[in-house]
Amino acid sequence: MAQPFMKKDDDDEEAEYSPFLGIEKGAVLQEARVFNDPQLDPRRCSQVITKLLYLLNQGETFTKTEATEVFFAVTKLFQSRDIGLRRMVYLIIKELSPCADEVIIVTSSLMKDMNSKTDMYRANAIRVLCRITDGTLLTQIERYLKQAIVDKNPVVASAALVSGIHLLQTNPEIVKRWSNEVQEAVQSRAALVQFHALAVLHQIRQNDRLAVSKLVTSLTRGSVRSPLAQCLLIRYTSQVIHESTSNLQTGERPFFDYLESCLRHKAEMVILEAARAITELNGVTSRELTPAITVLQLFLSSSKPVLRFAAVRTLNKVAMTHPMAVTNCNIDMESLISDQNRSIATLAITTLLKTGNELSVDRLMKQITNFMSDIADEFKIVVVEAIRSLCLKFPLKYRSLMNFLSNILREEGGFEYKKAIIDSIVILIRDIPEAKESGLLHLCEFIEDCEFTYLSTQILHFLGIEGPKTSDPSKYIRYIYNRVHLENATVRASAVSTLAKFGAMVESLKPRIFVLLRRCLFDSDDEVRDRATLYLNTLGGDGSEVETSAITNEFLFGSLEVPLVNLETSLKNYEPSDESFDINSVPKEIKSQPLAEKKAPGKKPTAGLAAPPSGPATTTDAYERLLSSIAEFSSFGKLFKSSAPVELTEAGTEYAVNVVKHIFDSHVVFQYNCNNTIPEVLLENVAVIVDSSDAEEFSEVASKPLRSLPYNSPGQTFVAFEKPDGVPAVGKFSNNLKFIVKEVDPSTGEAEEDGVEDEYQLEDLEVVAADYMLKVGVSNFRNAWEVMGADFERVDEYGLGPRESLAEAVNAVIDLLGMQPCEGTEVVPSNSRSHSCLLSGVYIGNVKVLVRLSLGIDGQRDVAMKLAVRSEDESVSDAIHEIVASG
Amino acid sequence: MLLAVLFANSEGNILVERFNGVPAEERLHWRSFLVKLGAENLKGAKNEELLVACHKSVYIVYTVLGDVSIYVVGKDEYDELALSEVIFVITSAVKDVCVKPPTERLFLDKYGKICLCLDEIVWKGYLENTDKERIKRLIRLKPPVDF
Repeated sequence: MAQPFMKKDDDDEEAEYSPFLGIEKGAVLQEARVFNDPQLDPRRCSQVITKLLYLLNQGETFTKTEATEVFFAVTKLFQSRDIGLRRMVYLIIKELSPCADEVIIVTSSLMKDMNSKTDMYRANAIRVLCRITDGTLLTQIERYLKQAIVDKNPVVASAALVSGIHLLQTNPEIVKRWSNEVQEAVQSRAALVQFHALAVLHQIRQNDRLAVSKLVTSLTRGSVRSPLAQCLLIRYTSQVIHESTSNLQTGERPFFDYLESCLRHKAEMVILEAARAITELNGVTSRELTPAITVLQLFLSSSKPVLRFAAVRTLNKVAMTHPMAVTNCNIDMESLISDQNRSIATLAITTLLKTGNELSVDRLMKQITNFMSDIADEFKIVVVEAIRSLCLKFPLKYRSLMNFLSNILREEGGFEYKKAIIDSIVILIRDIPEAKESGLLHLCEFIEDCEFTYLSTQILHFLGIEGPKTSDPSKYIRYIYNRVHLENATVRASAVSTLAKFGAMVESLKPRIFVLLRRCLFDSDDEVRDRATLYLNTLGGDGSEVETSAITNEFLFGSLEVPLVNLETSLKNYEPSDESFDINSVPKEIKSQPLAEKKAPGKKPTAGLAAPPSGPATTTDAYERLLSSIAEFSSFGKLFKSSAPVELTEAGTEYAVNVVKHIFDSHVVFQYNCNNTIPEVLLENVAVIVDSSDAEEFSEVASKPLRSLPYNSPGQTFVAFEKPDGVPAVGKFSNNLKFIVKEVDPSTGEAEEDGVEDEYQLEDLEVVAADYMLKVGVSNFRNAWEVMGADFERVDEYGLGPRESLAEAVNAVIDLLGMQPCEGTEVVPSNSRSHSCLLSGVYIGNVKVLVRLSLGIDGQRDVAMKLAVRSEDESVSDAIHEIVASG
Repeated sequence: MLLAVLFANSEGNILVERFNGVPAEERLHWRSFLVKLGAENLKGAKNEELLVACHKSVYIVYTVLGDVSIYVVGKDEYDELALSEVIFVITSAVKDVCVKPPTERLFLDKYGKICLCLDEIVWKGYLENTDKERIKRLIRLKPPVDF
């Protein structure tokens, strides 16, 4: 790893020696003293600046003192009239990014340049000033910036416009005032000015749908010169189309003609953008798709790799929803499998896997096998996932696909890649019964030589569940017992548990399993010994021949019924005391949204390759701690569920408010997370006045206002309601934010003493049936369904009316019930006419509920659904049906 | 947003790197990712032949010019097509400054000018100028001819 980052100066080849050979920060800083010479040598100064730039570009950092010293010295260079040097000075000032109290030194020089008669001084001064300035200075130079936007020199106009894009992040309210000038710049004859102006104008108006729609309407009629601007316009147009759902019945789609005309544009970039926009239209028809697919097909054989990549990437996406539309391109795509550029080849393969028919599978697999050996792991993973879906689509082909997976499993590869293969095999075993035995044997062979402990334990666990149910369970024992000899303690412990499962579930194997388990009693690891002892005693291995009861099985191998992450967090939070740890206190909810995650200051969304999301359990805990710390709510008992935050204001408004609904047995608490986004005001006594006249069963019992809400520091206010105990009452609440506004002096940051009372209308809020359902998954739905029994089963059929797609209908039912989809059944394969979805949850009163949905869609897109509910309580099963019937 | 522009020599040593909107702690990761990508794929590539890759919603277009490999990384509106435009401007500007596809030595000799060109092409994550003739004038503080 260290090798690539060695600085160039480590290279000691004499002939090609670098002009920066042996460069050293201290020496360069010394050299920078030439900036202070009374007789400036522009050439020398430029060389020193270049060295400083080289250091900065190599990741070198300057201490505060060093940076300040260099910066002050650089400002002296404004005295020189040398043009080349001045250009370097502009650049180095931006790179040094001086702090606010130093900026003042150059402000006057830059302001002078900004009004210079030399256009290029103006453009550069604008760029530097906007880079280093803060809000207060900005108001002073705003007038010049507005002039610059409409400057006749395109470089000056672009400098001001791109500054505008950056300033929108920090001072949006100022940039929004430039709307008229920017509007004028959009009409500019200079292509780049138009491009930049369009980007700024859209950002200024992005929260105003009508304005964006008007902008698009006027520009699609006119002539946009730059291809880059044309691409932006296509993006904005598809956004407008996406938001307007009108006229779908009549088949007329607004702006479609415009998009289609862009397919004939002379710039390839515009053609591709338009084709992409068309393929991404909601409910796109084959007639609409055809022209787009045709141009994409042409690009597949382009000589430019970027065009081939763009085309195949778009077709890959289309293949997910409209595989038939892409089949025409299959021949062109097959030739891309040997493309030099591996990203293109991978996309081509995965697209072919989606569009191929049953007959072409074998041929395709042959081609892929050759290809797999020379691509990187991350591409291989994509291919493995595509093969998994292909196998689920054509279950009859499981043999060749399973063989392919087991072959690549034997080859070299990293953890993520191997995990992807294992996951795929496990899914195939689960969904294709015929594939089970061969799949299990492939897994057994893999663990014989597996270097990843995690994967070995996962496979052993899976073998324990599936192995005993096969025709000849005994053939797996050898592989499992080998682990006890050959592996580390974690895998050995896992193997012991798996052996025990075979013993518990297969009576005939029991005596032989006991022999093996007894050998484990002398293991060097205590966990392995403990497990062996536990299993031997509970399963009767101590000599007494007993039938393994269901209770023993449940005790030994049943699930904990709480998510492990939540259990882990609760255990970490548990402080040793007289009161023992209570597993019932562990929250069962799986997902929850982080508290007021909306605008964490200073944390902008970044490009992060893979930043892990914060753990889910902490939020539930945080809510519980927060609520129990408030005296008014401490008597409400145990928190049943907290909803995800519901936005009560639109994005970009002056006060941002969202609400979290906390459900208790006989109370509901609304937690309003408020954020004040205006720097010049302070809010005090912030409370939400709730009108519950449309929620008859609720009566307000407490309200906890927020004393003060300064700029950009979120706070919470609460309102609590009482409701009938254990009843899933529903209702609608209207909300009004009430507060005292005080103006803040921007120079001192102090608020005025007197304030004005004000109100702010928020969106309505509903408590719905899903709020009384916890998303709690089960690991094996079929088992859980059978264990629950048919005593309180309720089955009924429903017509869901015309729907956009089956997937949309499934999601609507899941949202309505608020339950956890199991075993990945929430994913509806594209183009399928019927689908089954399994849901599980816990209803208020801690009643377990399981649901099987079977849906079908007909030619008119009418969806019919059969709903089977099993629960521990008859009334709850009925309640679920009522929710669906009334939803 | 144009997230990064990076120049490296044939051994993977960094010559110029400019990140925009990428947190400091992720930069090292990006640097090694890009250099590795180049090492795996750029061998035998012709001058200015574009290679392209994507990782989640981030796109990368890269190429080789003389002894120097050039990478640009972008997301959202800076997809592979926009990036190919950006890298085209960068390569033409570098060729112009160095007169030919540069050796590493030549590149370093013209380092200051190349930095100025980059400053004209990309400004904190946004494409600003696309015409090499104009850029050539702008780095000498001369107004564009076409105006």
